[in-house]
Amino acid sequence: MPRLSEDMKRAVVIFISATIIFSALAYVAVTPRAKEQFFQLYVLGETRMAERYYPDDNPNIPVGRLVQWYLGTTNFMGSVQYVVIKVKLGNSTIKAPDDVNYMPSPAPVLAEFRRVIMDNETWEFPFAWIIGDVGEDGDMTCATVLVINVKDGVEVRRGQVSALNGHNFRIIFELWTFDPATEDLMFGWRTGGERRAAWLQVWFNATKPMSS
Amino acid sequence: MGLKDKLSLVGIVLLALIAVLGCFASLCGTLSGAPLVSTLSGSSQAIDKADAEFKRALMAVREAEAAGADKERIAILVERLNNVVGIIDRAERLLLQGNATEADAIADQTVDISKRIVSEAIELRDEASLRTYYDKIFTFSMAPVASLLVTVGAHYGWKWWRRREVDRLMRMEIKKVKEPEEE
Repeated sequence: MPRLSEDMKRAVVIFISATIIFSALAYVAVTPRAKEQFFQLYVLGETRMAERYYPDDNPNIPVGRLVQWYLGTTNFMGSVQYVVIKVKLGNSTIKAPDDVNYMPSPAPVLAEFRRVIMDNETWEFPFAWIIGDVGEDGDMTCATVLVINVKDGVEVRRGQVSALNGHNFRIIFELWTFDPATEDLMFGWRTGGERRAAWLQVWFNATKPMSS
Repeated sequence: MGLKDKLSLVGIVLLALIAVLGCFASLCGTLSGAPLVSTLSGSSQAIDKADAEFKRALMAVREAEAAGADKERIAILVERLNNVVGIIDRAERLLLQGNATEADAIADQTVDISKRIVSEAIELRDEASLRTYYDKIFTFSMAPVASLLVTVGAHYGWKWWRRREVDRLMRMEIKKVKEPEEE
């Protein structure tokens, strides 16, 4: 067997080393980088900022007074996602969504907003509501909240709930997503074998208009 | 017939009776429960079908995206999916208002749109998969090519450097260093 010259040996060593390095670089280039997958859910006030959630900054909302908020969600899941924001009406005693067991709130659903959003896309839309009516039964005040679809200018859905002396009503926003494993909607989302949930709530009091 | 046999016979009769009653109760539950649920949820077959087709379309678009399809083309499909979502929403609203006929008619429209999205997404996925496959082959085949270039470069670079060093050595002259005179 002919012996390899010094030059040839050096060339073979360089070639093998370079092939290993370039193959590793190619692998890194074609493999998608793992990143944290999550959603962002937010509610903004009438100025489209995290302020002025109530008219005149007063949480005692009178009947018939329009409250304007902006709801938004951003998809950081790295893929196209189908999201549903469920708006629920509750009081202080009704259960809030459970972050540990991923159980949604049992409060009645006022409205649902659905959309398919792309990766890194933010979906923001106006959410306007009024207290349509307030009824009293002893110490309990029953408020009927109407969600107004601003785009069409028509009423979408109404929900009714009671609270002691009209205090501590709350509107709960839950983020639901489409789960490809079950092919159904689920509260929260799945990421890397884990489940996460996102929800928000804004408290308010219902007041009756002063009788003349 | 002993007492033991009589007891086991009674036991068998009781078990059979329980099984018959169980079946009857389950049948009654099915018959009375189904229309009640359907009335309460206000669902319609057309909307359910539209929803199922929409989910199929969504899955197809997600597969196309995972295969590495072009973002702009995915955005077009997503926009069409959102149109379907809007139409199904409208159909559900009509159903809640009691207009089932129009709700069904509107929901039916989305089935064809969803089916078209599915076929386009599958086409896009196949195209993207093939392109991604060729891209990977090209990227990995570049590794030995680049290595060969580096090897050739290193070989000639080494040769040039050696020649330069040898030449420098050959051109060296002996220089006489002037010793400082002793006082």
